[in-house]
Amino acid sequence: MFQRLLFERIEHRVVVGTIAFLGIMILLGWLAINEGARMRAFEERFLARSTEGGARLLASNCSECHGMDGRGLSGIAPALNSPHFFGFDFLAPVNAEIAQLNAEREAEGTTSARIAEIDARLVELDTQRNQLLAQMQTAIDRGYNPEQPSRLEQLGWGASRTAFVFTTLVHGRPTSVSYWPRPMPAWAQAGGGPLRTDQLNDLVNYILNFDKGSNWTLDDLLAVNQFPKIPGEGGVAAPENAAGTDVQAIVAAITEAPGDPVEGQAIYNDTAVGCAGCHAGGIVGPPTEGTYTRVVEIRLQDPALQGYTPEQYLVESIVDPHVYLVPSYGPVMPDYFGERLAVEDIADLVAFLESQDQPIQ
Amino acid sequence: MSVLPFPSFLDDVKEKGVKRAILEGVNEVTERLTAGMNLQDIREALRGEPPSRKPNPRLTPHADGFWLHMRPSYFNREVTGLYPSFRLGWLSTYFVFFETITGIFLMIYYTPSPEVAYENMLTILSNVPMGQLMRDLHRLGAEAMVLIVTLHMVRTFMTASYKKPRQFTWATGVILLAATLFLSFSGYLLPWDQLALWAVTIGASMAEAVPPEIVGTNINLLLRGGPEIGANGLLRFYLLHVLAVPAILFIFTGVHYYKVIIHAHSLPPKAENIGEDTAKRVPLDKRVYFIPDVLTSEMMWIGVSTLVLIILCTWFYHAPLESHADPQVTPIGTTAPWYFLWIQGALKLGDKVFWGVIFPGIVTTLLVIMPYLETGVSRRYAHRRLVLSIGFFLISFVVVLSYMGLPEFGVKVAAEAEVLDALNKTPAHNQMGRLLPVPYDQLVVGVYTTREVDADDENADEAVAAFNQELGENGVGEQLLSLLRDRDKLNVQSLAFNTVPADAPELRAVLEEFDDLLEQYQRDLPNATGVIIVTQNQDNLKRVDSAIIWTPTAESLGVEGDSAENLPPYQIQAEHIFIHENSQYFAAPGA
Repeated sequence: MFQRLLFERIEHRVVVGTIAFLGIMILLGWLAINEGARMRAFEERFLARSTEGGARLLASNCSECHGMDGRGLSGIAPALNSPHFFGFDFLAPVNAEIAQLNAEREAEGTTSARIAEIDARLVELDTQRNQLLAQMQTAIDRGYNPEQPSRLEQLGWGASRTAFVFTTLVHGRPTSVSYWPRPMPAWAQAGGGPLRTDQLNDLVNYILNFDKGSNWTLDDLLAVNQFPKIPGEGGVAAPENAAGTDVQAIVAAITEAPGDPVEGQAIYNDTAVGCAGCHAGGIVGPPTEGTYTRVVEIRLQDPALQGYTPEQYLVESIVDPHVYLVPSYGPVMPDYFGERLAVEDIADLVAFLESQDQPIQ
Repeated sequence: MSVLPFPSFLDDVKEKGVKRAILEGVNEVTERLTAGMNLQDIREALRGEPPSRKPNPRLTPHADGFWLHMRPSYFNREVTGLYPSFRLGWLSTYFVFFETITGIFLMIYYTPSPEVAYENMLTILSNVPMGQLMRDLHRLGAEAMVLIVTLHMVRTFMTASYKKPRQFTWATGVILLAATLFLSFSGYLLPWDQLALWAVTIGASMAEAVPPEIVGTNINLLLRGGPEIGANGLLRFYLLHVLAVPAILFIFTGVHYYKVIIHAHSLPPKAENIGEDTAKRVPLDKRVYFIPDVLTSEMMWIGVSTLVLIILCTWFYHAPLESHADPQVTPIGTTAPWYFLWIQGALKLGDKVFWGVIFPGIVTTLLVIMPYLETGVSRRYAHRRLVLSIGFFLISFVVVLSYMGLPEFGVKVAAEAEVLDALNKTPAHNQMGRLLPVPYDQLVVGVYTTREVDADDENADEAVAAFNQELGENGVGEQLLSLLRDRDKLNVQSLAFNTVPADAPELRAVLEEFDDLLEQYQRDLPNATGVIIVTQNQDNLKRVDSAIIWTPTAESLGVEGDSAENLPPYQIQAEHIFIHENSQYFAAPGA
């Protein structure tokens, strides 16, 4: 019967075919109308599942340093689950009102009655502000600066928070060795770490999901175990007896009290000072090995350095490195070592470099 | 007057008037486009009337046109209905075009690189209008095509249509089947998710078994593009999928169809005398002309099939996409695609070389040479009892082997891993952990135990309190806590068990299932208690830890002698998942 109905009569075939094509069009049209909603729903669902993945990754990879609740571990690593990380300013409402009242007070045409009113309110606000600061005191003691509530502003980061988290995960913080016991390593496979890009994205989604928007409370702030440190702080503090850049004076001081090559080697390899970083292997700067031999046998033969003693040359190369450049190297060495090193440190370094008298390769 | 050697359209308008001139122009264009049929001819054909002029204009598109040059101008009535072909050959061709069209759409949004392939999938699903539908259609079409092509082959075998003179047609058909299987298989890898990676890893490792070793290793290397499937392997599979195999498929589709037409569609066995092949001689009263009858029928079938596929992909089927491919994580229950399950099952029978390579090789060879083995002249079922029996036996064998290929068969996984997987499994193979689809608000923060389920309703509180005390006394509580804190980084200070609140029936149901599972595995997990711990991780994210505590016996550990004396007093295994408010895990239909 089916066969006869459908296939034997051409008009039945035409009708069924036409209905089918119409059905396709209607169904596709209906799907198209709902596509926007469907795609949004998918995105929301996917973001949620990606956040779950990030949570797993954070628990297994990051919680050791950043804490199981993301609030950081004291002396180990800073908090991610923190109003400071998301730039929440507890003082903002008070500060805004103070600024607005002050502006009104200064404006022309404000009556004296109004000024008195404003002053009264300002005193009130000042008390409020001080109360808030007092409540934050334990956080402030641990390094929180209420006047600089945003981590990104603190760092002068110009791009989005997402990008900040992502690049931090990609590269790690190689320099953080100068202010944390364990530097943050690179996590991206591109940087030699273990995580794929999609995993990094999961982590970013999870970390950004800590954000409470406008619902951060002082309790959240006080629960933070460790606030971030500002790069550069906690590095090599400028010594009180900084050597300066007077080469002759330094050379004279060194001749009077020669340094210790072992101490010098320690300073040379100290990552906080950073000599070895560029000079070991001689890729960025001239190699460490054979420094003294080269100074005596090659550099001092250069007419430009006529009359230099080896000590004078070495001291000048440390405190004022751009006066003479070794051929084939650029002017990339920082010129702040005069301020960062004491005369004794330079004496030790020179003594160490003088021990580098291996034959030239 | 026109400068042309023939009257221009303008001259026509002047002479006949606008309406008539346009009509005649359209008529002429139509006749050229259809290679012989003008509007009146088409109208007559569609109305089911006989052609009104001679020579029959419905034959010229076959004789003069390109598109129909390979299609016969008439068929035998016996082969036009559903029986005997069930239209399976036609449907296979339909899927070739269907897959090409949907495939080209997907190609636009796809880059064959492990770096971005998975991201492309997400973009197709989240940011390409109709992207999900196209992907679903392509995937469903691929699975259906494997099925249809296989059924087409089975049908040809059943009606003995491969007998002389159609042996070679059959051989090209086997090539088409192989191409279809490989197309489907190579497409598996492209989404670069866990399903893809592991299914293809299993598939490609079969190639490794080809003897001698140097050949197998190198075939595997060539296919994977390295010791592991990576960027090179993905690119190779992609090129095979979009270039090499489709080229083979298109060419052999042409050869196959040409052979079909040369010998004409074979008639049902009972329609002709034994030993005769009358397909080429169609008596006048049995002729069904391509135009209009077969053509309208095919148009109808295109519409109906496409509608069915779109309906299926709208409400009943979505192409799976699992988590990103990760060579470090082997999911429990990894399988080859379903049409290769029979090989995976065969591999469980023994030797990898014999069952993985030689056996499928024999099956394929047998398929190709079958028409040369079965040379009896009769196509009647009654005269082919032996061959049909062997055929049915082989089909049953492959079905049984396919069942054996399932992970349920003969793959031993530790009981505790199996139970925890049943609760926590990330969605894969249409399955997911029982905890995932629990509504977010029913995951009430707390610490729960299956002891609650074991006890009667009124004694539940007491049972849980007793469990708390027990854990405190025997030190297991401390051990569980330290496992969760130190290994799994769960942020809790203590574990105080309580009963599931009344407004969380789904959570309670999971706890009941957990208990049932532990009962099922009583032999491996004696005296087991299940624990579920729900904690709030972020404002919209909860963490669910599940753990099993059991007292091992010599039997459950499978040890004897000295080690049976020194059994650990208890063992603990735990796993955890996170559940976000918006994750929307739904149980698959029928799961």
